[in-house]
Amino acid sequence: MTVATPALGSILLGTTDPVRLRDWYTAAFAGGDSGVFTEVTPTLFACRFGDTSLLIDGRSDVTDTSPDPGRVILNFHVDDARATAERLDAVGFTWLVELEERDGGLFGTLVDPDGNYVQIIELREG
Amino acid sequence: MVADRRVPGPVGAERRARLWAVTLDAADPVRAATWYQAALGLSHDEPLVMAGGVELRFATGASHPPGWVEPARIILNFHVGDIRAAEARLVALGAVWARELEATRWGIIGTVLDLDGNYVQIVEPTADSPTCLHRKEDHG
Repeated sequence: MTVATPALGSILLGTTDPVRLRDWYTAAFAGGDSGVFTEVTPTLFACRFGDTSLLIDGRSDVTDTSPDPGRVILNFHVDDARATAERLDAVGFTWLVELEERDGGLFGTLVDPDGNYVQIIELREG
Repeated sequence: MVADRRVPGPVGAERRARLWAVTLDAADPVRAATWYQAALGLSHDEPLVMAGGVELRFATGASHPPGWVEPARIILNFHVGDIRAAEARLVALGAVWARELEATRWGIIGTVLDLDGNYVQIVEPTADSPTCLHRKEDHG
């Protein structure tokens, strides 16, 4: 019997302000080929980014800002990191690490409004 | 089927972003990777653990206190085809349960803690689950 390997179907971000967090991820990554957030409930939003979905869930068991940022980092791969960075700079996003060349491509780290770390990556071919 | 209401995105955006990987800070990255492989039956081609099309990466970065203060802040949802088999695997491994299997509107869900205190959920979506919670191949 073949047993399917589990897939990381979604990553859930718990937040006290799901609308603010949804709007941030929309501005950063949604739209175009990435799809848009759907409203599953008034406090739960979902958007597919490639092979998994990001769920943003309004919850009462978290505080406004992450007490332990960097414990988990979400890595978004984009086609054009410089264009992404320029667009994010134009709307005043906060960089923890600005876009920089490293082995293998371009890397930068953003901080979302809840304090979660979000890495933008453009891998170089080859 | 739960209706999903679309939230408008930016107009005319020509872009594509893929949530390609999740990096978990781990006290012992090798042990953490091995745990995910054993707990969920994931493929482990060191140093990568693959879960569907998403990479799990394990790193030791800034020093974090043991265990999450707020584990509900980021939850990894692993979709499984047979949740009872997934449960049995976790029980055999001695996983710590934050929530035992429960039927919800999203499907059958159970939550365990990984070795670093992250919430890991096993989910068997039902036909009535919101489409966003179904496997990619079910989206058409």
